[in-house]
Order: sequence, then C-alpha cells, then structure tokens
Amino acid sequence: MLLRLNAVTKRFGGIVALDRVDFELRAGEIHALLGENGAGKSTLIKILGGIHRPDAGEILHNDQRIEIHDVAAADRLGIRLIHQELSLAPNLSVAENVFLGREPQRCGLLDRRRMFREAEQLRDELGLPEIGDVRMRVSELSVARQQLVEIARALSVKARVLVLDEPTASLSEAETERLFVILRQLRAQGVGIIYISHRLEEIQRLADRITVLRDGHSVGTQTAAELSQTELIRWMVGRELREHYPRPPWMPGAVALTVRHLRNAQVNDVSFELRYGEVLGFAGLVGAGRTELAQTLFGILPADGEILVDGRAVTIRQPSDALDAGIVLVPEDRKRKGLVMTDSLGFNLALPWTRAGHVNPSRRAEIVNRAVRDFSIKATGPEQPVVSLSGGNQQKVVVAKWMERQPKILILDEPTRGVDVGAREEMFGIIRRAVEQGMAVLLISSDLPEVMNLSHRLALYRDGRIVHETPSQAITAEEVMAELTRN
Amino acid sequence: MKTLRQLLPLLIAIVLLVAFFAFFVPGGRFLTVSNLLDLTQQISINAILAFGMTLAILIGGIDLSVGAVVALAGTVAVAVLPHAGWAGAAVAGMGTAAAFGLVNGTCAAKTRMPPFIITLATMLVARGTALRFNEGRPLPVPDSETVFLNLGNARLFGVVPVPALIMLGAFALTALLLHRTAFGQHLYAIGGNREAARYVGIPLARRETTVYVLCSLLAGLAGLIHSSQLYSAEPAAGQGFELNAIAAVVVGGTSFTGGIGTMPGTLIGAVIIGILDKGLNQAGVHFSLQYIIKGLVILGAVWLDVRRRK
Repeated sequence: MLLRLNAVTKRFGGIVALDRVDFELRAGEIHALLGENGAGKSTLIKILGGIHRPDAGEILHNDQRIEIHDVAAADRLGIRLIHQELSLAPNLSVAENVFLGREPQRCGLLDRRRMFREAEQLRDELGLPEIGDVRMRVSELSVARQQLVEIARALSVKARVLVLDEPTASLSEAETERLFVILRQLRAQGVGIIYISHRLEEIQRLADRITVLRDGHSVGTQTAAELSQTELIRWMVGRELREHYPRPPWMPGAVALTVRHLRNAQVNDVSFELRYGEVLGFAGLVGAGRTELAQTLFGILPADGEILVDGRAVTIRQPSDALDAGIVLVPEDRKRKGLVMTDSLGFNLALPWTRAGHVNPSRRAEIVNRAVRDFSIKATGPEQPVVSLSGGNQQKVVVAKWMERQPKILILDEPTRGVDVGAREEMFGIIRRAVEQGMAVLLISSDLPEVMNLSHRLALYRDGRIVHETPSQAITAEEVMAELTRN
Repeated sequence: MKTLRQLLPLLIAIVLLVAFFAFFVPGGRFLTVSNLLDLTQQISINAILAFGMTLAILIGGIDLSVGAVVALAGTVAVAVLPHAGWAGAAVAGMGTAAAFGLVNGTCAAKTRMPPFIITLATMLVARGTALRFNEGRPLPVPDSETVFLNLGNARLFGVVPVPALIMLGAFALTALLLHRTAFGQHLYAIGGNREAARYVGIPLARRETTVYVLCSLLAGLAGLIHSSQLYSAEPAAGQGFELNAIAAVVVGGTSFTGGIGTMPGTLIGAVIIGILDKGLNQAGVHFSLQYIIKGLVILGAVWLDVRRRK
C-alpha cells in the first residue's frame, strides 16, 4: 500500500475536523474523496501535504510508519498537492511560479533562461498549450489558466502521490478532458492520485475507488463501479435526497422586483422579474458571475439599466440605497463580508441599526433577543464573540441582522456553504418562513439539488447572463447541467 | 524591457523636474555638473535606506527603526573608533545594526505582532540607546581618522563622491539579490501570496528574518556614512529618515500591500525625492512650502501608480 492513514484525528480548538479516519491509497489508482463542505476532506489532504499535523493516529508510507512534519517532508515523499484556492504568487511569471521554491540556479543566481525553457517544455509535454506564454505574469491570466499553471507546477516534479482538490472548478470541458487524459497516464505510471470533486458524474468516469467523508468520519470506501450515484449521494448526506429539501409553498403575489437590461463589466444584460412569496433560484457554475449580479443589485458594483421595486424605478448606487428600497443581501463570504468577526453576537445583530452611530441599549437588547429567539441562534449570550459560533449559527446571525428591517427582497448568496447538515436544514426553514411572510427571495446556490428543489422558478446563469428561465419542476438536473456547462 | 516600460513614467518625471528646476533655480545653478554630483552625494543615504525598506515593504512588512539605527550605529562606531580603528568601528556599528535587524526579524517571523509595532518599539529602544552614549552629546570623529572621514566626504579622482559609489554598490547588490536570485523570487511570493509561499515550502521565518537583518545592515552602513559626513556621531541624527525612505520606495512604485516593486524603481524614487529637496531649496522656496509640495508630490505619484495598475 502506497499510503495508509490509520485512525487519524485532527482537532481545531473544540471542533473535531477528522475523527479516527482510515484511508488508503494504492500506487496506480485514482481514489476519489467525497463529502459535503466541512466534511474533512481539506483537512485530510493538508495532513498529507505537511500543512497540518494529526493529533492522533498514524500514517504509513509503503507500510513504514512516517511523520510528515512540513511541506518539505511531503515533497521528499513525492506528495504533491494542487490546492483548491489558487496558491500562486501573482506578481511572478508562469515559469517563475512553476519553479517557485526550487529555482534553477547558476553560480547562486537565477537561471531564468533555463527556467523559461523548461517551463515551455513542461507545458508542451503536458499538452496544455492553453497555458500560453510562460513569461506572462500570473495576475494577468484568467482563473482557468491560473488553474492550469497550478496543475503544471504539481506535475513538474515526479510525483508519487498527487492530490487534486477540485481541479476542474474553473476549467472548460476541453481542459477538463485534457486533465483526465494526463491523470490516466500518471495512473498507468504508478502514481497514486487522490481526487476531490463535487461533480459526481466526473468522479464516476474517472475514479477507481471512492471514499466518502461526512462530518469528519469516514463513511466508507467502495469501488467506483459498484457505487450508484443515488447511493453515493446517500452516503454523503446521510439520508434520502427527497426528504432533504422541503420546497417552500408557492404563494406568488405582486411583482416585487423588476430588473431590465442590467449591465456592467460582470453583468451582461440581465432582465428578470421576482414576485412576492416566491423563490427565484440562480443556478450556475462557480465563476458564472452570480455573486457579481447580487452585488450589483445591492449597489456594491455600479451598473446601467433599470431596477424597479414595487413597479417604481429606484436608483441604487450604494448599499444604503438598496436597503432603503427594501433589498438586503446575505453575502457569499460571511466571514469577510457578512460579519464583524472581531466583535460580539449582539454587536453584529444591532449593526444595521447603528448607522447614526448609536443604538440605545434597551432597543438593542430587544433586537438581539428577538433575533436569537426567532432564529434559534445557539449562543451563551449577546456578548459571545461571533468568531466562536459554529458556521451555521454565524450564517443565522447574518440573515437575522437584516430581518428586523422587514425587507421586501431577500438575496441569499450561497447561504449553505460551509455549514453543517443541521444548520443547512435550519437555513431551509428560514427561507420557507421568509416566503410565508410574503418576502421575495432570490437564491444563489452552486449546490444543484438545493437550488432546484428550493426555488419555484429557476434562472440558469452563465457568463454573466440568464441563458434560460423555467419553472423548477419543468426541468431535470441533467438538463440544467447540460445547459450550464455548454460552451 | 518590461521593467523599463514600467519605469518610464518615473524617468519622465525626473526629466520634467530637472527641466523645471533648471529653469527656476536662479543663475542656472541647478543644472551644473558639480551641483548634480552634490545631489548624488545627498541622496545616497536615503537611497541606501530605501533599498532595505523596499525589501521589507515587498514582503508586506515595514521597518520604522532604520532612522534610529542610523544614529545608534554611527554612535557605536565613533565610540569604538579611537580604540579599534576604522575597521573595528565599522564592524561594531554594523554589528549593532544587525542585532536590531535580528530582533525585528525574529519578532516579525515568530510572533504575530505587526512589523509596524515591532519596529516602532525597536526604534525607541535604538534611539534611547544612542542617547545613553556620552549623555546625548555628539561624539566628534578625531581628525586623524582619515579612512573613516573619507567614507562620507572623499571624492574618487576628486570628482565622484564616495557615498554615491557606496550607494551604487548597495543598489547593485540589492537589485541582484531581488531580481536575480531565488531569494528574491521568494520575497515576491511571500508578499504576493503568503499562504502560497508557505505551501510550496519556502522557509518563511528564515526569509523574513533575513530581510529585516539586511534592512538594518543597510541602515548601519548609512549610519557610518552619516557620522562621517557630520564629522561626529549625533545621537539625535536620523530623525524621520525612515519616512523619507518610505517615500522613496512608494514613489518608486512599490506597493504597500506587498509583492509588487522593483529596486530600480526605488532608486529612481530616491532620486526624485532628492531632486525635489535640493531643487526647492535652491529655488529659494520657503521650507514650510517645501514640506507641502513634497507631500503633494508623494500623494500624486502614488495615486497615479495605483490608477495605472487598475
């Protein structure tokens, strides 16, 4: 066995990220690692990459017990990681990034000529002409090309174990196919490959074996051919999909929001209508530009075009304009855009009311108590720092802080990303209640079953525009996927 | 070629400034060979500090202690001078500076204290230590110490100021280090994306510590030159030098967020600041106005740079 993890445990503070997880990797196999966000996949591969150290358990390499102290140790073992977040140095060239940390040198000086030549060779050997000029600065490349650079970097050294964390998230279909060819070649050469992806169809085409993690536990390992997609999903979520998504009742009222020919650098002529008492879902791949649309509607990005609320034209130049019009946004990145992480629960909940600089203490207590009760936020009290709340409770704070304003239009951008299954259910409950109270909900989610099952109407979004609009029940997941991935 | 294109606006700025002062300084005194040679002498200390500061800012840090280290290194060197000769003085001065760099670097690399605060604190410590010497009074350099005095005052072939030569030497070394070695690549990586640098196995702590030691060593060198120029070690010397160095660095196009910047840019930045100082002085502009103009020029230069990058 190339690699084996025995009962590996890793804690971060009070949170158990991995709980006695077993995992094994053979030479010459592609082993898919699956699980919802927060299931522990990233922690596991970071342990292999020498970025985290396990708190308990052992790692065996060719049946020898080993310690992976740091990145250099992982390097010596031939373990190469391709991270989900881009890990390139923006101001260096493609070639310089490929050779970062092990630059070719002559007499102590950089040998740039050799670096460029070898990077070009590597690019051609891998058959990735899309990488382009290796002298280009990485910050000038598209995200997809940056991803290819990252892949090239991992493959520039002879790897024995290759770990890929969602490598295809920003790749085109052609680039994805090319990557698969490369991975199969490497497999034939005896490289052990750990492959993380959310695209189940992709995994079933590529992987030999599949291991599923859930809430830090290993659910099991199975040969890919013997695991159906339904079963796989059941392993991941731990219950049938059907009961997992209670669609809110559809009670369409008057048109709340009309958007006509909205456009800016990221939004490409978008028009749609949203009624009170309904959920309009925006489905799309990561990078389709849905977040930018949400930001435009909330006045963070400037745009041309018309926005009407209750049939009256509104001018939205900044978030306070959007708030005045009754639009609120629950942003994608709650830690950076949704919360003041250094402050308390009470501070965050009262923040929308402190615009004038002060909110009186009894009013604040009233706001906080109602929010904590209505959203069943689990906290020791209003003074608890939000940083110590769980992801789900943090997300509830972000939603709850707006509700006191009784908004007309609620925009949710990836509201269930990085929260556990329980908190996810509660988020669904919040959406349902918002609809029942007559709010208009615009839901952005990259989780396809979620956005399809929770929304009444579905807008398929690609390259900054709505490519198709349909009642959610009139389209299948396969049709949606086909539309979203079309070039 | 690419670098040249990036530096072009700055070079144009130099030409414009020189033309401006050639016209406005009375009697055509600005654009003369001897005046320009004086200029190189006058910018050398700020440029030497700015080279070190570039490294610190490039990795997302800062070093506020350089001005105080200039004073302390000079004081230590001059105090040692009568006993150990010029070589001993240089070693003592530079060694003291390096010790401060080591403290700055170790604190920055191993603790989570921000470099701004760390170096603010060591600035006070260095300044205080310098003032302890000789109870804060200047220490004169004995006239017999010709080698030491030549460091700041001699001219090669009677023409080129020695400090300017030292400055060019420091430029060549730091530019080589930053643009032609793996070490330099690592600094760009650390400043541009710290996590990425960590993930490819760059030893962050060692690189960071080295940067602060280099920055302090250059400050020590500047301290030797400065005390030589003054014919004495002034414990109160070097006040505000750190800010002038930072000004040169940012005018030269180095980004305060880290990861962007070049050594030639910093050299040009130091030249621009130097021309402004000297030109305004010679044009007879009141010193109060000099501050205001300099401030506005810095603001304008950085604004243009930020806009150009967008």
